[in-house]
Order: sequence, then C-alpha cells, then structure tokens
Amino acid sequence: MIKIDNIVHKYTVWDDENTKNEKVVLDGISLDIPSSTFMAILGPNGSGKSTLAKHLNVLLLPDEGTVWIDGINTADVDKLWDIRSQVGMVFQNPDNQIIGTSVEEDVAFGPENKNMESSKIRTLVESCLKRVGLWQKRKESPTRLSGGQKQRLGTADALAGVPKCIVMDEPTAMLDPEARKEVIRLIHDLNKNEGITIVLITHHTDEVADADQIVLMKEGHIIGKGTPMEIFSNKELLRAAKMDIPPRVELGDKLREAGIPVPESILTEEKMKSEILRLYNETKGKGEATC
Amino acid sequence: MIRDITIGQYYDVPSVIHRLDPRVKLMGVLIYIVALFLIRNPVLYIVPLVVTIVLYAAAKVPASYFFKGLRGIILLLLFTFVFRMLYTPGDVIASFWIFNITSQGVVKAIQMTARIALMITGAALISYTSTPKALADGLEKAFSCFQRIGIPVHDMAIIVMIAFRFIPIMFEELNLLMDAQAARGAKFSEGNILQKCKGVITLLLPLFMMSVNRSSDLAMAMEARGYSGSHEVSRMYPLRYRTADYVSYVLLALYLAAFIFIRVFL
Ligand SMILES: Nc1ncnc2c1ncn2[C@@H]1O[C@H](COP(=O)(O)OP(=O)(O)OP(=O)(O)O)[C@@H](O)[C@H]1O
Ligand SMILES: [Mg+2]
Repeated sequence: MIKIDNIVHKYTVWDDENTKNEKVVLDGISLDIPSSTFMAILGPNGSGKSTLAKHLNVLLLPDEGTVWIDGINTADVDKLWDIRSQVGMVFQNPDNQIIGTSVEEDVAFGPENKNMESSKIRTLVESCLKRVGLWQKRKESPTRLSGGQKQRLGTADALAGVPKCIVMDEPTAMLDPEARKEVIRLIHDLNKNEGITIVLITHHTDEVADADQIVLMKEGHIIGKGTPMEIFSNKELLRAAKMDIPPRVELGDKLREAGIPVPESILTEEKMKSEILRLYNETKGKGEATC
Repeated sequence: MIRDITIGQYYDVPSVIHRLDPRVKLMGVLIYIVALFLIRNPVLYIVPLVVTIVLYAAAKVPASYFFKGLRGIILLLLFTFVFRMLYTPGDVIASFWIFNITSQGVVKAIQMTARIALMITGAALISYTSTPKALADGLEKAFSCFQRIGIPVHDMAIIVMIAFRFIPIMFEELNLLMDAQAARGAKFSEGNILQKCKGVITLLLPLFMMSVNRSSDLAMAMEARGYSGSHEVSRMYPLRYRTADYVSYVLLALYLAAFIFIRVFL
C-alpha cells in the first residue's frame, strides 16, 4: 500500500541572526506499510511523526527519497488528487479540522470538492455517518459534539474520501479515557471489517497493544520496528524512545517476578484476565486435590 | 453576557419559511428593508409589523427565543429613541434643564426606533430560518455572475462559512482565557481606561495567536480533503427553485410595488 524509501525532510528555519538554516527532521526513513495493516507510530515530541504523516497525504514532499502510494510516486503532480483520495487524514485538534457548520455538511465537504453528483454525495455521507455512529446527529452543529464524537466525525470526513488508508495524527491526544477508547475501537473496527489500512500516531502505549506493527521513532530515525510483543519486551528500546512501559506489560513483569507464570505475550486486559483466572483455577484445583 | 447571544442562530424546526430557497430569503430581506425606508407616514409601520409577526409565526420561531436575541439591541433602541427625541428642533412641548422635547422630536423618535427595530427583527428571521451553509450557497449563487469578472465569489462564500463555524469557538476560547486570567487576578471591569486596555490586550494577543495556529491547521485539513479553491465543486443539496419560491418572488414584488406606489402617489 505505502512504501517509503529512504526519505529526508528538511524544514527551513530562521535563527536569531535572521539567517536561513535547514533543520533535518526526517533523516533517511524507510518503511513498508502493507495493505490492511494496523500500524502504530510512537516517539517522543519532535521526533518527526507528524512530518512523516504529512508525506503520506502529499501535504509535504520529501527533499530526498520517494514515497510510493499504491505504486504512485507522491512527487507526481498530476496524480495529486488520486493520492489524496487514497489516503485520508485525521488530525489532533478536532476543532481545527471540522469545516461544516453541521455534521453532515462537514462530511460532504470532501465529496463536494470532488464535484460528485448530489445524490451520490447524500448516499456516501449517510454511509460514512452510519459507520462512525453519528447518523442520528447529522443535522447538529459540530460545536455541540463531545470530543470523542468530534474525532469520530473527523474519521467520517476521512472515510468520505473512500480511502484505502487512514492516517491519524494523535487523534486521541485531547480526549478523555472513555472517548479515547471509543475512537480506538472505531478504527480497529474499520481496519478489521473493511480492511482499511490504519497508520496511528500516538503517545499512548496502551492504545497500540492490538496493532499489527509498531514503529518507534526518535530524532528523525526509526529506532525500532516490530509486533507489540517484540517492542514491549525490549525495555532498552522503550527507554531509548522515552516510552512508558504499558501498565499491563508491567503487571505481567511483576506477576512473573512474584512467581506467577503468565506468558510474556500477553498485552491486553482481556487476555490477562482470562490467563490469571485460568492459573487461579488450576492452583485451586490442585489445592483441592491435596486436601 | 457574551455567552447568551442568540440573535442570528439557526432555529431548527420544519416550516414553510425554513424550506424557502435562501436566495428568495435574501431578496426578501432586501425588499423588506427598502420598503421600510420608503415609509413616510408612521402609521404605515403597522404593515411591516404585521408582516413580521405573520412571518415569525409561519417560521415557528417562538417569541421567547426572539426576545432573548433582542435583549442585545435594547440599548441601541433606547439610545436612538432618546437621542432623536432630544435633538430634533421644532415646537417645544416640554423642557427641562438644557433639554427641549419637541413634538417633531417625538414623532421622529418613534419613527427611527420603529424602523431600526423592524429592520433588525426582519433581518434576523433569515438567520433563524437558514443554515449558514444555505446562506453562503445562496449568496454564492446570487452573485455568481461576478465570478466572471474576477471577483472570487466562491472563496468569499467559503470565508463566510468558516467565519460562522469559528466565531462560536472563538467566543469559547475568549471565555476560557477570561477565566484563566481572572484566576490569576485580572479584573476586567475595574480600573481606569489604561488598565482596561491592558486587560483587553492580554486577552487579544493569545486569542490572535490561537487563530493563527488554527488557520494553518485548517488550511491543511481543507487541502487534505480536496479543497483547491480553483476547480468546479458540487453541492450535497443543490439550490433549486420550487413553486413556493416563485410565489414568494411574486409576493415580494407586489409588496415593494405597493410601498413605491404609496410613496409616489399618496
Ligand atoms: N513548519 C515547520 N517549520 C519548521 N520546523 C518545523 C515545522 N514543523 C515542525 N518542525 C520541527 O520539526 C520537528 C519535528 O516535528 P514534528 O511535528 O514532525 O514532530 P512530532 O513527532 O509530530 O512531535 P509531537 O509529538 O510533538 O507531535 C520539531 O522539532 C519541530 O519543531
Ligand atoms: Mg505531531
């Protein structure tokens, strides 16, 4: 789906003496994102995650290297709108990406820009709003939505482009825990049920336990890549990326230290619960047997 | 105070007026205001008053909602009334201190106040009954002929839309800022002019910075969703005239004609 080949991105910055300087923000990034994967990108502030995300939607072009989206080079100006319709974007601040003064108008903004037929826009808007569970609120003003609903609306906006991939740049950063779960659940559903490729940028390690792949970034480099299990069992790497160890992984460690043999592969709450229950029942069974 | 401005906020109910094409409503407001200015005999203000009441009833906008919105302009009306009454020369009917109240002044005052009140209530109806999007679309269509001579009507419509979307958010931010500054001991309603100005600047600067950040974010979000500002776009609900719209145009023409007739011949 997306192939990033050794890209370099430099921002021009003006320093105190009013001289032009170049700041290398992405320094030789290569990454393959296969179709229908759920890829999470983690990294400390300023590591270049947002800059990378903007390359996936041609909001930026690389200074060196190439980004291929479905076999199209993003530097190909004639294909700009083709690429933009392949990749949808959801940004951090929901208020700064909602353009319409009502929910349905906002979703219609993208299709209207593509000069789509009115009846087609209406069916598309309906399907997008139903998929994110906001169809009931279609006539409402976005100002009246909750944070989680706003980000779901942002997702519907992205879906209205009929994308194969959705890139989300810290969509949960401004949300409370309940709303975060709501949004993460939604994108997992879209990934599983519709095979939409997801690139999720986040600071929350607990949101990525179910990702297919995790990429760790730091200072413009990729410093680690792998499944959640591989990444979270590598404490050195996590420390280098200034990431917390997710609470459930930590709990597993502590349990193992205390002599309770939960396997290292457990990263989700559900599995942890059933594993502990299983172990508990096992020992209880033994206990009864010895009596 | 800023928190309860309702004038100009869409009131969502199904009604004949809501369903009218926004272009008809824009033309309606224009004709309504022109007609107000054609009136010379104050008794005739009865006509637009009745028309306004009938239209509000037809639009199902409750009086309470309307009066809540009117609160903001009461001061303006009062000021107009008093000012007109005291500063019109003519036959003195009462006088105190340095002020003279003239009979002409009283008539003028009633006339001016009635005109402004009717103008604002009539014009407010359009914003109660059309969404900002519909209004922007209506303006865009109505002025589309100017696009050909290089006036960016489409861009202006988008600007109107975005303004409608972000003004409430900016008020929200302003309130937050005021609370935050108040928590740090700022008092906006005390002190001399200079101190007040300083207070306002401590509010405006961050508000301005927030808006600049917002606009760059917004530009990116719009671009990501295919907005280029140059090519042909479509509409989810394209504007299309229906019978009711044509009928309304005829009624509007008759209304205007009647007032012109009265002005010229009576
Ligand atoms: N438009 C710009 N001009 C100059 N420098 C920029 C620009 N945008 C970002 N930078 C710089 O590039 C670096 C990487 O920024 P980027 O936004 O990609 O980081 P990030 O990983 O998304 O960080 P965060 O977690 O804070 O969102 C930062 O040091 C930032 O200051
Ligand atoms: Mg970022």
